[in-house]
Amino acid sequence: MATAPESISVHEEADLLSRIAQGDRDAFRDLYARYSAPLFSLAIRLVGNFGESEELLQDAFVKIWRNAGSFDSRKSRPFTWAVTILRRTCIDHLRKRNVRPTSAQLPEDLLADASASGDIRRSAEVHDDSERLKGALEGIAPNPRKALELALFSGMTQSEIARRLEQPVGTIKSWIRRGLLGLRETLNQPTP
Amino acid sequence: MNPETEELACLYVLDQLGEAERASVEARLEHDDALASAVRTAELALARQVASLPRHEPSPELAARIEDEIDRLSPSGRSHSLLGAIARWGIAAAIAASVGTLAYMNLRPKQVAPLPHLVFVGLDSANSTLAELPASQEPKDADASFIQLASLAERYWKRPEDLPVKLATGSGGSGYALFDEASNQGYIAIRRLPVPEEGKRYHLWLVDTATGQVREAGVLPAADSNKGLYFFSVSPETPIRSGRLDFFVTAEDGAQAQDAQPRGKVVLGDRRI
Repeated sequence: MATAPESISVHEEADLLSRIAQGDRDAFRDLYARYSAPLFSLAIRLVGNFGESEELLQDAFVKIWRNAGSFDSRKSRPFTWAVTILRRTCIDHLRKRNVRPTSAQLPEDLLADASASGDIRRSAEVHDDSERLKGALEGIAPNPRKALELALFSGMTQSEIARRLEQPVGTIKSWIRRGLLGLRETLNQPTP
Repeated sequence: MNPETEELACLYVLDQLGEAERASVEARLEHDDALASAVRTAELALARQVASLPRHEPSPELAARIEDEIDRLSPSGRSHSLLGAIARWGIAAAIAASVGTLAYMNLRPKQVAPLPHLVFVGLDSANSTLAELPASQEPKDADASFIQLASLAERYWKRPEDLPVKLATGSGGSGYALFDEASNQGYIAIRRLPVPEEGKRYHLWLVDTATGQVREAGVLPAADSNKGLYFFSVSPETPIRSGRLDFFVTAEDGAQAQDAQPRGKVVLGDRRI
């Protein structure tokens, strides 16, 4: 099952973007088929709401369509480029609403808030996310894990993360590196 | 792998860099194999992180809704949006769009006006020299303005003989800043700057000579910082009141100046303005 984006040919996706830039609707549909689920999953992680996540995914794909010509494979993989578009779309949306992305709170805070809210569906989603992420992040030291969570799933800058975790910016940068690259090593291990 | 390189790559991939730093990373990616490798590694980790999230599928109708919206976009809408993306993505996109920019200029040589509202400041190790570029035509929108700025920066970089100010050719460093007050965006070019001392980084500062206010405009990349053309933008929170802007470059401890004020040695321009 080719759900992991890296399992799909980067060159193929770059070619799709090149064709999308020329107005090729079939290429766009192909890219949508590959990216819609992982990007939607990420939007839900950021926004915590199905309806808004769909709207934001729609906005992101329209931006992909319109901006495909600006993609440069020397600077990023297609999937990273698409993730950046989606994250910026979600974060801009939440900032307009003056709401922090869900992961501006640390995971334990998130669980507590969701449980207290009485929103059963949201609570279940959050719990599901937390459990799965906990598994994915297993093996990473707590501080790098927190820094990575905030860097990836929130709109917080390095300075904001530093203030949140009460650490110097340099420490936060180091933690983010250890979190992301430690995650890579963890995920490279075969799953039982 | 150098931890600093890995750190920079992770921050880049996680979209945690400011515009200037992001632009400098993208410029380095063209020739820095170690950085490119670190970025690819970080991208793989990011992709796996996203893939590890609980999988949700959007509703089947969403694809049709997106295509409907695309159908409503006019061809000009696509073009306009692309240029908008260029502005948002900073120098990376500027580099990517350079071919398009040049094509634009070549196709419409008579209609590319001398750039309005652009400030040019020539810099050497002791002085700065201002030249205001004459305006004869307003760009029709922000995208057009940015394209004009980027194209002029690229032209000056490739053809220094076209510079409106003659730069020092002695042993010291030299450079220039090209700035659009309307958009608070600009380019800084440097040549022959010495490699910064250990732990030092070159910081670019903008001076509003009417108020004396100094603002940080960006940090040059740690490596290859003796030569390059870099995009920068300045926070628009406080309006610039001066009709005469100035720029200078200092060597500061690290990538973040204390209190966002210059304290280090001036390496380009004149701090005493």
